[in-house]
Amino acid sequence: MHQRGKEPRPTGFLTAPGMTGLVFPRLFRTKPGAWLVSLLLLPGVWAAELPPDAAVDRGVPTMTLTPQVVVHSGRLEWEPFSRDLSAWPTLSHADRRSTEKPRRVSLTGPLEGDATRGRELAMRRDKGFCMLCHQLPGEQWSGNFGISLLGYRLNHHADADLYQQVFDPRVNNPHTAMPPYGTNRILSDQEIRDIVAYLQSLE
Amino acid sequence: MRSLLFVLLCLGVATPQAESMPYREYDALEEYAPSVRGDMWLSGTYRLWADPGRLDWRMAGNPEDNWKLNWKFMDPPFNQTVHGGHFALDRGEELFRALNAKGRFAACLGARQGRLKGLRTGYPRYHAQLRRIVGLEEAIELCAARQGRELQNGSYDNSAVSLFLASKSQGMPIRIQVDKGPMQQAYARGRKLFHMRTGRSNMACSSCHTHRIGLKLRNVAVTTPYGDVAHFPVYRTRFQLQSLQLRFVECNLDSGTQPLRPGSSAYTDLEVFLTALSNGYPVSVPSERH
Ligand code: HEC
Ligand code: HEC
Repeated sequence: MHQRGKEPRPTGFLTAPGMTGLVFPRLFRTKPGAWLVSLLLLPGVWAAELPPDAAVDRGVPTMTLTPQVVVHSGRLEWEPFSRDLSAWPTLSHADRRSTEKPRRVSLTGPLEGDATRGRELAMRRDKGFCMLCHQLPGEQWSGNFGISLLGYRLNHHADADLYQQVFDPRVNNPHTAMPPYGTNRILSDQEIRDIVAYLQSLE
Repeated sequence: MRSLLFVLLCLGVATPQAESMPYREYDALEEYAPSVRGDMWLSGTYRLWADPGRLDWRMAGNPEDNWKLNWKFMDPPFNQTVHGGHFALDRGEELFRALNAKGRFAACLGARQGRLKGLRTGYPRYHAQLRRIVGLEEAIELCAARQGRELQNGSYDNSAVSLFLASKSQGMPIRIQVDKGPMQQAYARGRKLFHMRTGRSNMACSSCHTHRIGLKLRNVAVTTPYGDVAHFPVYRTRFQLQSLQLRFVECNLDSGTQPLRPGSSAYTDLEVFLTALSNGYPVSVPSERH
């Protein structure tokens, strides 16, 4: 669990630092014979790898680690982080994974969201955590990156527009700071419906 | 030379890229100066904090205004009390003396004739023996290893030594050169990374630190990226001692990006970029941050 806190120094030419090279697929490290296969599969294969300098531990369920600074110690300890962040692109030069492109969606069928569940999802740190940026009723430590959502129902937005905003706000504003909850699979279709129902209930 | 560097960062879509390049998004057009004065036009707060002697203390006491001072409130002279940073400083001095018994540790770090004064102000730098750019903490790890001691980058003891070395440059302006060679390339890469959206929330450093300066995330106002580096490593109750690269880890975790190990080339490039943005700002340690 408390792995040695150091990135393996890149050795081969394939992973030289700063180089626009590729991360040599772990899969093929052990079997030199698989080189041939890798040549055939190349474009598809190298795209998916987590870079070697990511602070992860494949042995823990959530993968992602968080540092623990121990007083009077020359070692940096790492502990499992509460959320798994390893599936999305990092800042590493060796990370060849793509960001998900903005996605336009249309809400199908009636909303059928549950505002009570929506409120819970909006508050949860691992889900919406909307009050990081928006004022919400009953939350005294709201942020102000986005507009206040107090009384938001009175804006009379269509369900479909709110669904799009939560699913992927980049469609409305490419420079937004708001996360693309649907596109990046933070919230499921039903969860977004619940949050939209919650927004539509804010008096 | 006072060169303003322009970054033309449009949304990744617009840049013609080779087929194999991953799709990435960058935040909007930004200009930077590799000097703390560049903040004159980014946040406009530079005039309020350029001269520490003329800080308006009333602003420090006002939660709506204190971010504008960029003296990071808890730092001296606001916090004159003894805090954990002072103990770390003592620890760092002890460790340094033990490591440098024969003078080799200081030499490895690049001190001429063992003089520590000003050493901090020239990091990160290109390390001729290692043939790459290293931040001070990375250099401490590598040079300590040569003396047979493990001081991992980001560990308490490593940051304590870093803090001790910084204290030897107290009041001296940060001064790194990013106008040529490998340092210029690292600066350019770091600047690009600063604008690159990553992670689950698809945010870049600049999403918060240049585009929304002064706005609040819950109850914390984000501050300008200019001038930060001069007071690192900082004492914080949660982290005990936090090096700059551990701050990157924290910001990454907070904004939903899988963090990297301290010392990774990407973090070092970011460190070069941010340090250049502190050029001209006086080293002030030990500092305390919330
Ligand atoms: C990291 C910041 C952030 C988070 C977290 C966030 N938002 Fe936003 N949101 C914004 C910003 C900034 C805007 C302003 C428009 C833009 O930039 O896209 C916005 C706009 C909106 C709007 C449109 C407001 C209008 O103009 O009518 C809605 C609705 C909204 N957010 C709902 C949510 C909900 C629901 C959540 C949680 C599931 C959430 N936001 C989480 C930053 C955020
Ligand atoms: C979700 C918003 C957000 C993102 C994205 C973000 N930060 Fe931060 N950052 C903060 C907040 C909030 C603070 C604490 C308040 C302050 O000092 O600005 C902070 C503090 C810092 C500090 C310490 C300032 C000081 O002097 O104590 C540094 C350095 C920093 N961030 C760098 C970065 C870098 C580099 C990145 C990108 C890898 C980044 N941040 C991404 C919100 C963010």
